[in-house]
Amino acid sequence: MIVIGIWEWVGSNPANPITQVLPPPSKFLPVLFESDFKIGLGSQSASIYQSVFVTLVRVFTGMAIAFIGSVLCGMLISLSKWSELFILPILGLMAPIAPIAWVPLALVVFGISNLTAVFIVFMGVFFTLTIATVAEIKRIPENLLITAKNLGGNKFNQWRMVILPAVLPGVFTLLRLNFIAAWMAVLAAEMTGLRDGLGAVVMTGRNLFNSNLILLGICIIGITGFAVDRLLLLIQQKFFWWRV
Amino acid sequence: MHLTPETVLSCQQLCKHFPGDRNQGESGILADVNLDLVQGDFVTILGQSGCGKSTLLKLMGGFLPPSSGHVLFHGQPLSKTTPDIGMVFQDHNLYPWMNVEQNIGFGFRVRGDQPATYRHLVRDLMDHVGLSHARQLYPHQLSGGMKQRVAIARSLAVKPDVLLLDEPFSALDVQLRRRLQDFLLAIWQEMSTTMALVTHNVEEAILLGQTLIVVGDRPGRIIEEISISAPEFRDRYHPDFLALQRHLESVLERNTAAIAHDPDQEIIVPGP
Repeated sequence: MIVIGIWEWVGSNPANPITQVLPPPSKFLPVLFESDFKIGLGSQSASIYQSVFVTLVRVFTGMAIAFIGSVLCGMLISLSKWSELFILPILGLMAPIAPIAWVPLALVVFGISNLTAVFIVFMGVFFTLTIATVAEIKRIPENLLITAKNLGGNKFNQWRMVILPAVLPGVFTLLRLNFIAAWMAVLAAEMTGLRDGLGAVVMTGRNLFNSNLILLGICIIGITGFAVDRLLLLIQQKFFWWRV
Repeated sequence: MHLTPETVLSCQQLCKHFPGDRNQGESGILADVNLDLVQGDFVTILGQSGCGKSTLLKLMGGFLPPSSGHVLFHGQPLSKTTPDIGMVFQDHNLYPWMNVEQNIGFGFRVRGDQPATYRHLVRDLMDHVGLSHARQLYPHQLSGGMKQRVAIARSLAVKPDVLLLDEPFSALDVQLRRRLQDFLLAIWQEMSTTMALVTHNVEEAILLGQTLIVVGDRPGRIIEEISISAPEFRDRYHPDFLALQRHLESVLERNTAAIAHDPDQEIIVPGP
């Protein structure tokens, strides 16, 4: 609050050179409410809402595929001791690769498309979540499984009705924590390669030396990221609230 | 009542030692246990912690394979767990993502029954055991005693021939424990399920059991078997009850003293 206050006070003097580079919120936020406000050139131009939407769709698609994929993969790996022995180290090697590091490869393989962004998010989250799934499966109290077996459940039902629900909350928590990484990866991809989305908005601002646009982009990135994190927290509390 | 009660579960020369045990053979965790469970019986297995009484229960349910000897269930060797032999553990083991009704009905669901076929059975059972008011609650909303009642109901829902209980009340305080003991006795009398309960609490063993078995330590073996079906053993303050309690406490005490006196010298196992 104090920082914004000082910022506004400094920015209120148009003669100050800082105002040109860092316009105060009262200057760049109203841009949002201009009805025909578009960013970009010609056919590539999009409203800020469209940009937010595009970025969100990419992040959510990537995370959803990674979440489902890694839970299934983790369960498959846990089926046998051998696959754990051989596949887990590979995953352990892949997991620390920063999602941003996948950007060049994705651009080469998939070109400039939504697939690229989805792929980057997926790669950024998938390995960590798969490892987490395997760890969560190991953590399930043995008696929960023994009870299911004792009551006459076959293997498939034990996996479906006990192991799957037992691991979901833990894996989802990790998905929420990894959202930040996925979010940053998509923005980086949009800044470097893709032509639309929130990252592209900030880059357009840079190319046009439009400080208003840069700051507006940064603000929206922050607010949207925060909102999504809250949303994920809400989903967790509503659907994956239990602790095993 | 059967005129000649059928033996449901029979342990024959049961031995169990775990791989990597320092001691082998007779000094293993269980040595030469012979035990018959008769239809409708309530056997309490009394022993101190670590004497192998829980292991015995796991062998009886097919949760562990014996090192030697057999467990016969209706005359057939038991090689793995079956829904006909239920097990209640010390910790309630309820599924935290299911409410009381779903937990109790889990035995039907996990074996693939359609909800319509078992819903009324679960409702009846909940009425029966006094859990109807809690059917929408989740385990974390229940008290310790309620959780254990749900766990017992879940095991009973699938109508097992034998219910094994491994110190089901030892995590509860005295008051609650007594309430649940009465609860279990009432259920046993109504449903006439054959039960075997492991405990280290002498009072509990006398109060609940029709047959009481004392398991000694090092190695785990049956050192005393008493029939206590008479009604005076259902009264905690009856002189006979107290006398038996004193006797059993001294039996356990002697067993401990014998081990403490000479820890390396194994007690000789009495022949069958």
